[in-house]
Amino acid sequence: MEILGVLGPTSILLCFLGVFIGMIFGTIPGMTATMAIAIFLPITYSLEMIDSIGLLIGLYVGGISGGLVPATLLNIPGTPSSLCTTFDGYPMTQNGEGEKALKVGITASIIGGFFSLLILYFCAPFLASVAIDFSAVDKFLIIIFALTIIASISQGSLLGGMFSGLLGIFISLMGIFPDNNELRLVPGFWEEELYYGFTLLPVLIGLFAIGQMLKEAEEGMKPAAHQDIDLKKGKKSGFSFGIFRKQGVNLVRSSVLGTFVGMLPGVGGSAASITAYSQAKNFSKQPEKFGKGEPEGLISSESANNGLIGGALIPLLSLGIPGDSTTAILIGAFLLQGIEVGPLFITSNPDLWNGIIYALIVANIVMFILMFFSIKYFAKIVYIPKYIIFPIIVVMCVVGSYAINNGVMFDVWTLLLFGLAGYIFMKIGIQIPPFLIGFILGAQCEKYFIDSLKGSNGELTVFFTDGPMAVFLWVLILLALGYSLFGNKKNKKNINQEAA
Amino acid sequence: MLLLSSALLKALKIGEEWCVMKKILVVVLISILALVLAACGSSTSGSENSGEIPDRVRVVIGSTSTGGDTFQNAEAASRYLEDEMSTNMKVDAIGGVQAFDELSKAKDDGSTVMFFHDMAYLGVEYGAFNEENKLENWEIGPVVSINPGNAFLTSGDAPYDTMAESAEWLSENPDETVTVAIQAGGVSEIIFDGYYLWAKEEFGTEVSDRIKVYVTGSQEDKNQALWDGNADIIHGSIGANAEFTKEEVEDKVKMKFLGLSASERVEGYDIPTFAEQGITVNGEEFTFDKEFFYLMPKDIEDSYVEQLDQSLEEVVSNESYQEDLSKNAYITNYISAEESTDYLLEKREEVNKIIEQAPDLDDISH
Repeated sequence: MEILGVLGPTSILLCFLGVFIGMIFGTIPGMTATMAIAIFLPITYSLEMIDSIGLLIGLYVGGISGGLVPATLLNIPGTPSSLCTTFDGYPMTQNGEGEKALKVGITASIIGGFFSLLILYFCAPFLASVAIDFSAVDKFLIIIFALTIIASISQGSLLGGMFSGLLGIFISLMGIFPDNNELRLVPGFWEEELYYGFTLLPVLIGLFAIGQMLKEAEEGMKPAAHQDIDLKKGKKSGFSFGIFRKQGVNLVRSSVLGTFVGMLPGVGGSAASITAYSQAKNFSKQPEKFGKGEPEGLISSESANNGLIGGALIPLLSLGIPGDSTTAILIGAFLLQGIEVGPLFITSNPDLWNGIIYALIVANIVMFILMFFSIKYFAKIVYIPKYIIFPIIVVMCVVGSYAINNGVMFDVWTLLLFGLAGYIFMKIGIQIPPFLIGFILGAQCEKYFIDSLKGSNGELTVFFTDGPMAVFLWVLILLALGYSLFGNKKNKKNINQEAA
Repeated sequence: MLLLSSALLKALKIGEEWCVMKKILVVVLISILALVLAACGSSTSGSENSGEIPDRVRVVIGSTSTGGDTFQNAEAASRYLEDEMSTNMKVDAIGGVQAFDELSKAKDDGSTVMFFHDMAYLGVEYGAFNEENKLENWEIGPVVSINPGNAFLTSGDAPYDTMAESAEWLSENPDETVTVAIQAGGVSEIIFDGYYLWAKEEFGTEVSDRIKVYVTGSQEDKNQALWDGNADIIHGSIGANAEFTKEEVEDKVKMKFLGLSASERVEGYDIPTFAEQGITVNGEEFTFDKEFFYLMPKDIEDSYVEQLDQSLEEVVSNESYQEDLSKNAYITNYISAEESTDYLLEKREEVNKIIEQAPDLDDISH
C-alpha cells in the first residue's frame, strides 16, 4: 500500500477531518472552500508538510462538494461554482426528488473529481505548458463563450435575460480600474467601501437567499410551508446508478470542460460549471427540460465544478501559477513551509507530488462516503418549517458575508442590499441567474479585453487575427448562440401551439 | 428572536383579518433580524482596560493575498509577537483601502493594527490611496523586516543580462522598444521610475521614449505578459520567480534576473543590484529596499507602542524567527517606533523627488 507509505495515518485522518469541515463550510451559505483553507492556513505551519496537504486538500474537496446541498435543497448556491446546480437541483427538490438530486450530484462530483485527478496525474506538465499558450484574446473569448449561457437560460424573454446579464456586468465593473487606480461607476458616498467593488459571495447569497425569503414572506409563511414537499416520491429515493447509463458523454464533456477551464489561470471555477451547463443544454436531446428538474443539468454542473479542482492544480503544481482563488491560498501553505512552487516542483518534490495525488484520491472517496450515506439526514432540512430555517439562514448568511473578506462590515450591507435588490428584481422582471452570470464574469471579461488591446496597441482586429484558437473559439461562440436562439424560438413556437 | 417570531405568528392565527398584518410582520421580522445582526457586527472588540494589551489583536494587512510577502512577513512576526506580548494575534488579508478604513475606525487600545510595506505611503503619493491615509495621520510603529528580493526579470533568451544593459541595447538598436510590466501605484512603479529616469539621463529621450509600460496586477499576470510577448521585462521577486530561472526549466518559461533594487545583494543569488549596475537618479545611486512596518491609530496609548517595540526587539533577535524569514529570502530590519517615523518620512521625501520627475504611466502605456 504505497498510499499509506506516502500519506501516513495522520495525513489520512487530517484529510478526513478536512473533508468533513470543508463540507460544513460548503453547506453553509456564504462560507466557501477558499475561506476554509484561509482559516486553517496558519495552523498548517505547525504540521508536517504532507499532513498539511492532507488537511488542505480535504478542505478543498469538501468545500467545493458541500455547495451542492444548499443549492439543491434551499435554492441557495453554497459556493459560486454551485450556481448552475440550483437550476435543476432545486426544481428536483420541489418535485419531491431532493434525495435523488443530492445523490445524483454527489455521484457526478466524484466522477468529475476522479476524471480531473487522472488528467492532473498524467498530463499536468504538458497541459500547464498548453495553458500558458492561451493569450488574453483566447481567455476573453472563453469568457464570452461562457456568457452565451445567458441566451440559453433566459426565462421567457431573451431580451430581458440579456439586459439582466448586461446589468450584472455593469455592476461588476464598479470600483477601481487597476491600470490607472481611478474609481469608476461609484457614487461619491461609497468611494471607500466600493474601492474593490461588490464582493461576489454576499451578492450571490443576497440575491438568492435574502431576496427569496422576502418574496416568500410577502406571500405568507405558513408554519409548515416546507412540509408539502415530499422528499422522495414513494418509499425509495428514486436514485439508481442507472441514471448515469446514458450520461457518459455529458459526464466526460462536463468533466473535461471543468478541468480545462479550471486550469486556465485567471478564468476561474464559476466559469467552469457555467460553460459545462451551457454545453450540456445545447447538446441535450431535451433542452426544454433544463431548469425544470433535469438530472442531466445537475450532472453537468457538479461534474464540472469538481473537475475544476484537478484543473486548478495543474498550473499550480506545474508552474507555480494558481488556477483560482483557492489554489492561490494553497501556495501560501507551501511558502509558509519554505517550499517554492514553480516549474520544477513535481521533479524536485516527488514525495509531495505523490502525496497531493493520494490526498486527492482519499479526499474524493471520503467525500463520497460521507455525503452519500449521510445525505438522507441532510435532506431532512426541507422538513424544517420556514419560520425556523429562514432566520437560521439569515444568521449564517450574515456571518459568512462578514467573514468572507476577513471581517469587512460593508460585505454584510452588500448582502442586505442585494437581498432587497433580488426581491425588487423578481417584481420587475430582471432575471437573477443571467444577472449573476454577468456579475461573476464581467470583471474578467473586461480585464482580458483590455489586456488584449494593450498587447495589440489598441488594434480591435486582434480578436479575429490572434491565431487558430481564437477562430475556433469564435466558431464555438457562434454555434452556441445560434443554437440558443434557435431553441428559444422553438420553445416560443411550442408554447404558442399549446396555448392555441 | 425565534421564540418571539413564533409566538407572534401563533397569536396572529386568531383571525383572518390578521392575514395581511402577518405577512407584513414576517417581512419586518426578517429585516429587523438581519439589521440587528449587522449592527452587532459593527462594534470592534477589544480590551476596555487602559494601558493593557488586549487579549486579541487583529493585524490587518494591505494585501488581499495570503501567498504574498506581506502576509508571510506579518504572519511570522505575529506568531512570535503573540508570545512576547502574551496575546493572540490574527492576520487578516483585507487589502490596502480596507485596512486603512479598519484602522481609522479602530479603538486606541491596539486591538487593531496594520502591517504593510512602502506602498502604504507610495500609494498615497501615486494617488492609489486617499490623502487621508498619509503617514502623518497614523502612529508609525516599528519597522520589522525587508524583502530584499525585489527584482526585474526577462526571458531566458533576452539579448541583455542586466537592467543597465537593456538601456544600452535600446541605444544600440534604435528600432527596438522595451516594455516593462509593473503594477500602478506601488513598489514596482517607483523602481521602474528610477530605471526610466536613469535611462533618460544617461541615453537621452531617444532611448527613454522607447521604454513602455504594461500595467497589470498580480505576479501571475506579469509572468503571463512575459510569456505572451506583451512585456519584455517584468517586475518580480526572488521568492516568486527564482524557480523559473533554474537551468532545468523549459526554455518557453525560462526567466533571468536583471537586477535587484535592494541596497545589498541577496546571499546565495548572483544578481547584481541597481547600484552595482551604475543606475543613478539625481546623481545618487538608486536603491529601494521594500520594508515592512506597523501603522496604528493616531491616538494609540504610548504604553502599547512601547510594549510592541520592546517585544519586537526581542523577536528580531530570535534566531528561530530569523530562520523562518530566511526560508523565503526575507531579512530582519528592526527600527524602533521612535526612529521609524523620521526614517519613513525621510524615505518618502526621497521617493517624492523621483515621483516629481517620473513620467505619467498613461503617457508611456501601450
